[in-house]
Amino acid sequence: MGQAEWATVPISTRDVDGPVFFTEHEWNTIEAASARIIPTDHHPGAREAKVVRFIDRMLAGTQFIFPAADGNGFLRMEGRDEAAWRERIKQRREFYREGVVELDRLAKERADVEFLGLSEEDQDAVLETLSGATKPNAFSLEHSEAGLGGAPAGNQPVNEDFLEFFPLLVLNTRQGFYGDPVYGGNENRVGWGVIGFDGPPSLASTMDGSYTTRKYMIEAAEWPYDQHPEVLRYRRP
Amino acid sequence: MSRKKQPEPVDVVIVGAGAGGATAAKVLSEAGLKVVGLERGPWLKPEHASGDELKFLNRNFIWQDPKVKPRTYRPNDKVEAEITNFSATPQVVGGGTTHWGGMVPRMAESDFKLRSLHGDVPGASLVDWPISYDELEPYYTRVEWEFGTSGLAGANKWEAWRSRGYPTKPSPLSQIGRTFATAMSKLGHGTFPMPQGMVTEPYRGRQPFSENGFWQQYPDPGSGKSSTLISFIPDAVATGRYDLRSDSYVSEILVGKDGRATGVRYQDEDGDEFVQHAKAVIVCGGGIETPRLLLMSKSGLFPDGLGNGSGMVGKNATFHQYSFSVGLFDREVSDPLYGWAGHYMSLCSFDFYETDESRGHILGSLIFPSMIGHPVNWSFPGRPTWGQAAKDADREFFNHSMKIGVLLHDLPVEDNRVDLDPNVKDAWGLPVARITHTPHSNDFAQERWQVAKNGEILEAAGAKKVIPVNMERITGNTSHELGTARMGNDPATSVVDRWCRSHEVPNLYVFDASFFPTATGINPALTIMANAWRCSDRILQVDRHGWSEN
Repeated sequence: MGQAEWATVPISTRDVDGPVFFTEHEWNTIEAASARIIPTDHHPGAREAKVVRFIDRMLAGTQFIFPAADGNGFLRMEGRDEAAWRERIKQRREFYREGVVELDRLAKERADVEFLGLSEEDQDAVLETLSGATKPNAFSLEHSEAGLGGAPAGNQPVNEDFLEFFPLLVLNTRQGFYGDPVYGGNENRVGWGVIGFDGPPSLASTMDGSYTTRKYMIEAAEWPYDQHPEVLRYRRP
Repeated sequence: MSRKKQPEPVDVVIVGAGAGGATAAKVLSEAGLKVVGLERGPWLKPEHASGDELKFLNRNFIWQDPKVKPRTYRPNDKVEAEITNFSATPQVVGGGTTHWGGMVPRMAESDFKLRSLHGDVPGASLVDWPISYDELEPYYTRVEWEFGTSGLAGANKWEAWRSRGYPTKPSPLSQIGRTFATAMSKLGHGTFPMPQGMVTEPYRGRQPFSENGFWQQYPDPGSGKSSTLISFIPDAVATGRYDLRSDSYVSEILVGKDGRATGVRYQDEDGDEFVQHAKAVIVCGGGIETPRLLLMSKSGLFPDGLGNGSGMVGKNATFHQYSFSVGLFDREVSDPLYGWAGHYMSLCSFDFYETDESRGHILGSLIFPSMIGHPVNWSFPGRPTWGQAAKDADREFFNHSMKIGVLLHDLPVEDNRVDLDPNVKDAWGLPVARITHTPHSNDFAQERWQVAKNGEILEAAGAKKVIPVNMERITGNTSHELGTARMGNDPATSVVDRWCRSHEVPNLYVFDASFFPTATGINPALTIMANAWRCSDRILQVDRHGWSEN
């Protein structure tokens, strides 16, 4: 059956509390690691956004890969596409299973406890060892760190299939923090709130025209824009 | 094996239902020809679309899944090619017009005569187009009005003559457009509203885009974005003479003993195989899949692939690599840019389009400012990846960043090509396209100069930090695939003639961007559609009268 005919299954990433794929220990460990990748400060972090639930549902199989367009349920994948995703998820499951074991091993080396038993500083140190690099320094406009880390901005996303565990965890944490809540993370859209993205209240609202960004545009301006009063109202360098 | 019936012969079978294929389907079926369309991908509808970043950008819902439809890339013949998702382009009904940003500028008059203007550029295979702007102009106008576009005639002082303006007014200004217009003016440069494949007023039963912000790389759940999915395909279907079969994978173009194409072999979604006979075959699979299909269609008469007696099928590939400078702004002194508001880009400039040899290179392209990305994929080189520093950078700059990009007007080079990978197969067991490509030195010079210039514009706009993102190699990041079935008058150096008809197979045509003799510095879809219309008219006026009855 072609992609256009895939049925919608009335399931949600929030149907059950807690893990679908992970063990309790894996769940808690990945939750703690994600909380070091996007920490909680005066704004919520990965823990509050339930990033671990996003990752767990991604690894649960192929049932939570593609939401229905309006966010009510998920598409039942079929055929070659489903097979490709099954293979992809199988590989990611191994990365995560082995990744948790590795986090605990590094923690034991360091302080003779599991990763969960470490202080935040020691957890960061374990993540540094795992990543093979020091924890990123604060970014500032003044000094140049061009080329240090960070996926280059581009108009095509990073291909997750070629990532090792740590960069995969970092990317999935970001996806769970900033992706649409339908995937199980970004609880109450807290990720969007942190960065000031006035995103849609639901996927359905992007379809029926009820969600719009017009108020952030300058609709009254006319060409030539640089001399138009609506443009001249803004600060100029 | 198949329990299904073999299909009835028709006048024309069109492989692919993107910009080129859908235009041909509309023109030919409206004139009374019986047409079958075979599209490899699904027939998704607007109701399958919504503002879901992960689905459309990260999880390849409409781009080809590299596990199912891989491609390989190598810089040159000495290196083993590696699997990549080179030139991710929607393989769906509507093709690249479903996910695109809808940039529809016209070619400049100079684009048609680069060989005459620049002579023999060493290392490149620069040629003139065998057609002129004047021949294409009526079709540009026709597509702009039938397809639905917006813009402001006369605002681009570099544009050639036009017989008519745009059917709908320019799209609304974004904060990024505002910033670009102000900075360019300060530097003495001009800007104008991006000509867009969108309607901004009610037009032919369509409503303007909702401005939900999910534009570039997202199909539109409404009817504001112009795509062949919601325009030319419904027009063709409405004639009752266009049978579009989605999820139908063509593996070979068949030829008879007389060297004419007889039809195509394809598999449906269940894997059942069919032969669709037709009096003519039009290939519109895009600049990578079209040469692949021609090269897979080997026979006694055409041992090197169909229509490839010149050996030129797949060669002279150009890809319009997209590069840019990122600007980061200080929230204390600059107003927010809200890059996610609107429709990706809203203005552009042609001030760097025409050659100025004092820049140290020839050619140029349009430049345009845009958002950097929605929250998941927003990034810049040097962005801290994790920890407090990462969160701080996201919070500080998400609404205070933008980029100004350039589409590389790359030179055709004969060795830059698409052929069949000898080792890698797709999920159907067929050899995948292998891309062999190294940019010409002029490409690097042009790209470096323009990215630096774009950085200067960002500084004039008030950016406190400018980060160049330069090309290292070609990745196909614009989904523009050009030049691999070159149009020309000489059968020894080109694949199709001035009507995009094979020099060797008189009832075989190529109507996608494979025909582009040179890359141009603009987005190709409008030109693909205008040219497909022009060549379809030729079929109706001349060629069809010579087709034998099956």
